[in-house]
Amino acid sequence: MALVDPIDANDPGRPNRPATYGETNRDIIRVLLKPTVGWAVAVVLAAIAMVYGGWCWYQQFTWGMGVSGYHPPIQWGVYIVTFVFWIGIGHAGTLISAILFLVRSRWRTGVYRASEAMTVFAVMTALLFPVLHLGRCWQAYWFFPYPNQRQLWMNFKSPLMWDVFAISTYFTVSAVFFYVGLIPDIAVFRDHSRGLVRRVYGVLSVGWRGTHVQWHSYMGSYGFFAAFAAPLVLSVHSVVSWDFAMAPTPGWHSTIFPPYFVAGAIFSGCAMVISLLMPMAYLFDWHKYVNTWHYENLAKMCLLTSGILTYAYGMEYFVGWYSQNPFEQSIFFWRATPTADYGWAFYLMVFCNCIAPIAWYSKKLRTNHVSLFIVAAIINVGMWMERFNIIVSSLAHNFDPATWTTYAPTWIEWGVLIGSAGWFSFWFLLFSKTFPAIAITEIKEMVAPPVRGH
Amino acid sequence: MDQTQRIKAVYSHLDSLLTGVDRLKKAGITGYTVQAPLPRHEIEEIVYEGKPSPVRWWVLTGALVGITTGFLLTSLTHSAWPMINPGGKPVVAIVPFAVIMFECTILFGSLANGLGFLFHCGLPGYWLDKSLCDPRMTDASFGITFLEAPVSDTDRITKLLEGSGAIEVTTGPDTFYEVPNA
Repeated sequence: MALVDPIDANDPGRPNRPATYGETNRDIIRVLLKPTVGWAVAVVLAAIAMVYGGWCWYQQFTWGMGVSGYHPPIQWGVYIVTFVFWIGIGHAGTLISAILFLVRSRWRTGVYRASEAMTVFAVMTALLFPVLHLGRCWQAYWFFPYPNQRQLWMNFKSPLMWDVFAISTYFTVSAVFFYVGLIPDIAVFRDHSRGLVRRVYGVLSVGWRGTHVQWHSYMGSYGFFAAFAAPLVLSVHSVVSWDFAMAPTPGWHSTIFPPYFVAGAIFSGCAMVISLLMPMAYLFDWHKYVNTWHYENLAKMCLLTSGILTYAYGMEYFVGWYSQNPFEQSIFFWRATPTADYGWAFYLMVFCNCIAPIAWYSKKLRTNHVSLFIVAAIINVGMWMERFNIIVSSLAHNFDPATWTTYAPTWIEWGVLIGSAGWFSFWFLLFSKTFPAIAITEIKEMVAPPVRGH
Repeated sequence: MDQTQRIKAVYSHLDSLLTGVDRLKKAGITGYTVQAPLPRHEIEEIVYEGKPSPVRWWVLTGALVGITTGFLLTSLTHSAWPMINPGGKPVVAIVPFAVIMFECTILFGSLANGLGFLFHCGLPGYWLDKSLCDPRMTDASFGITFLEAPVSDTDRITKLLEGSGAIEVTTGPDTFYEVPNA
């Protein structure tokens, strides 16, 4: 039987790779060694931000929603903006782990595990926001269908109910997919450790032995997970977009929202992968596995989705004009007026999402780590601004001019936003230090198999 | 009944392992477990000869249960509370319910997939034979293990495995191996 090297040695884009399976194990398992100062400082900063965010939530919990900047008719503000932002961030992970797996894209190997972790933690963060937004967060369980004595039941024709199902399904499927992929790699950690640590990894690896039966089921199962996750990732942000598009509110009621939101989610997610992985690669010395080749491919994904977003922004204006609907025309004209209340938000969004990524059309800038990091950070800001622009401006400039108003987030809302970044970073940093954030098994698949050749 | 004993062969080369499995198959010997530090399609091909994983039946069942649950949950709820009727839609409105049905299909299919994976892998498998818990098999080596080989066949199997290029063939109680730390 002919044994095929999975990587063409003549391919100029081929990644760096270890020489042997054992080398892969030992390179990746190094994260278990004593933590570096940089990592410890990052964890402490994330924990401080998380505690501060928790304290701000406590204030809201104690004093009620009055401490936020919400007032009629602007009842969706920073919490919903940030909810959509984090859901969007989660999209790149599933895109990289599922869709790129199905199309057998080689560059995903080094980055997919960390991206999947990012997805799970981003959705965990996003899930906080509908609860925060409720005010009476202790009644959050009303979201879910269960037999009850209140004679109340949810309306399955409402997009908000679709969203509950979409997000909870997305979180559950992403988490299970993520964990199944981790099992063989945790077994590697188990076999390279001793004492209590070995016991913990032993429990988490559920007794994995790497037998042919296990690998056969693993590969079958993994393919099905990817096949389920691929349409799921495209549907989730479509459903999130219907939270807005199903309402008749000017600026929201548009059929282009689902693809527009999905493209935006992938755009922000890929930028976030660059923002997260680049510092981690320096922190843990992962350069053999995560390097410019991966960043450049992520930047190309951002360029594609930035183009789709720019087209969608333009198309919104065209549709507003072509519809001859005075309310639609009014909101889009108002959004783009530089001196209007949220003109700054619109132009900041256009700069961050449409103009700044143009830099990456230059290969030199697309492969320069400083440029990559700066533009990725700008995109993250821009995508938060996009959601702010869509959500707040439409509510502030609704059908009835008598209700037109403005909204400014209070320090409580900013604190919760900072806290969410801390919460997300905290879990991601802990994961990277204690679990294989680079997929050992799939990296091994890139190594030429050891052959005696007899 | 024949007495049995454990036989374990360790390989450092994939082609040697494949030769070993091939020779066992040609000799009509069964009851072995192949171990590898990664999924290699060559091993799947030689052991399973293209037979797909049974996990697919779990997935199909889960997905069908999911779509049915989604339909029943939505339509029975709205039939029981028909006053909730926004936008003049029919009480049982397939288009808006399709979203819930889709999500339930994915959710139940994926959970059934995970359960099927665990079931067919024999996981959680903390009680599995210690002989299969060799750290070299998650590091860089391949292995063929007979947990219960008939004692009368031991010589034949051992010679066959040695001849295929195994770097080590042992019989009897297992030895615990440590992989060097990073």
